[in-house]
Amino acid sequence: MADDKDVLRDVWFGRIPTCFTLYQDEITEREAEPFYLLLPRVSYLTLVTDKVKKHFHKVMRQDDVEEMWFEYEGTPLKWHYPIGVLFDLHASNTALPWSITVHFKDFPERDLLHCPSNSVIEAHFMSCIKEADALKHKGQVVNEMQKKDHKQLWMGLQNDKFDQFWAMNRKLMEYPTEEGGFRYIPFRIYQTMSDRPFIQKLFRPVSPDGHAHTLGDLLKEMFPAAIPQDDEQKKYQVIIHGIEPMLETPIQWLSEHLSHPDNFLHISIIPAPSD
Amino acid sequence: MEKWKIHVRAKLFQRDCQQKDPFNGLFNTYSRLLEKCELRDGLWEESQESSPVGNDHVMESLREKLQLRLQLREGELAREKLSQKVSDLTSSLYLKEAELQYCHSQVSRYRKEALSLARNASSLQSRLLECEYTLERQSKELSALRAECRALQEELVGAWQEKEQLLERWLEEKREEAERVNQHNDAQERWHHFTMRLTRHLRSRSRRQSESKTGGQCHTWTATDRPTVTED
Repeated sequence: MADDKDVLRDVWFGRIPTCFTLYQDEITEREAEPFYLLLPRVSYLTLVTDKVKKHFHKVMRQDDVEEMWFEYEGTPLKWHYPIGVLFDLHASNTALPWSITVHFKDFPERDLLHCPSNSVIEAHFMSCIKEADALKHKGQVVNEMQKKDHKQLWMGLQNDKFDQFWAMNRKLMEYPTEEGGFRYIPFRIYQTMSDRPFIQKLFRPVSPDGHAHTLGDLLKEMFPAAIPQDDEQKKYQVIIHGIEPMLETPIQWLSEHLSHPDNFLHISIIPAPSD
Repeated sequence: MEKWKIHVRAKLFQRDCQQKDPFNGLFNTYSRLLEKCELRDGLWEESQESSPVGNDHVMESLREKLQLRLQLREGELAREKLSQKVSDLTSSLYLKEAELQYCHSQVSRYRKEALSLARNASSLQSRLLECEYTLERQSKELSALRAECRALQEELVGAWQEKEQLLERWLEEKREEAERVNQHNDAQERWHHFTMRLTRHLRSRSRRQSESKTGGQCHTWTATDRPTVTED
């Protein structure tokens, strides 16, 4: 685990260099300069873009300002997905910095949820944690926590405090040694080429005969096309936190170390680049 | 270390080398400059509102004042950042202490677990020894019983053979006895037959004698004559 703490740190401190540009049709009093920001992969867009909002508000007429939303190459970006997932899903094979367009008008009601304040993000984040714990420990760990412990998890994410977050999140990652893992693995599989938001099913970390399930086993059951057959060219990339783990990686270890702060293992499946 | 774990660590390192490290310094400098710029903008706006239009001397003193205020604001900002850092470090220290305590509690828990496991292991070992001893004893008993069974089986074979012989002898005896009885019966039958003939003969003779005496119809007996039935 001593070595594995480095993995937790690398996951937490993953950053994406981003350039925010105001949408060309937005009416401004003077020309809007782009705004550059290193976005934390594990956070949410609307949680870390206060400075972006402030920056563009300066050049806009107050009457023309509505709720801010983001778009990448015509796709509205869902704030309730972690930033790293959005990048891996839509822009992982493009040049950096990631270029996001900022809008203050024509909110796409069909595609995005409204986010009037940080308390909405907090509610979403805590509900994800509770859902994940229901899968892992029948919700016992999160229910035994006090209100201040829940707050510590949220404040850890909000203020980007690794130690503060993991001091509490550690409890959510524990399991009885004799069981060899969680009850079920909280995971979500995202695909760009599907209308379905994500795949989420029950999946145990250990097989009935006591073998540890791997990422390959999970994909074989949930998305078999992602596993290349013999002599076949790879059709899809399976990305978690911007990397492609080996299919032999135990799913329990991945859940403990490569889960997002919401305790879900977010897996992006994108078409492999043709070159 | 497992191959998959080395792969994950290497790929995360590679990811940061491509995505984070080349931009980190640049973006930090950009953010610092932006902060400075905002500060100067704010001061400039303030000074524009407060200062009336004047001669060069007044402008010079204003510039100096502005410079001083800028230095003051920058100092304040630096102090704010430092105090924030101190507060962060203090909370981090508290967290580390809590973590240390947690680690200590984990160590003591694992020690207890290890002790109980060791105790269990020793009791299991003694049970294993007992079982081994019982097994050895029972295997000895089994081999003795097997030898006894073998001897008994041999005896059984002998007894069986003896029984067969006796049966054969008994049957032979019975057969001889039956033959003897048959012979005796034959003799008896012959004897009985002769007795019957003799009786008949004697009876017919005595009748002829009595008839010759009385002058009645009689049949003369010759030596060659066969006994005949006399009709009254």
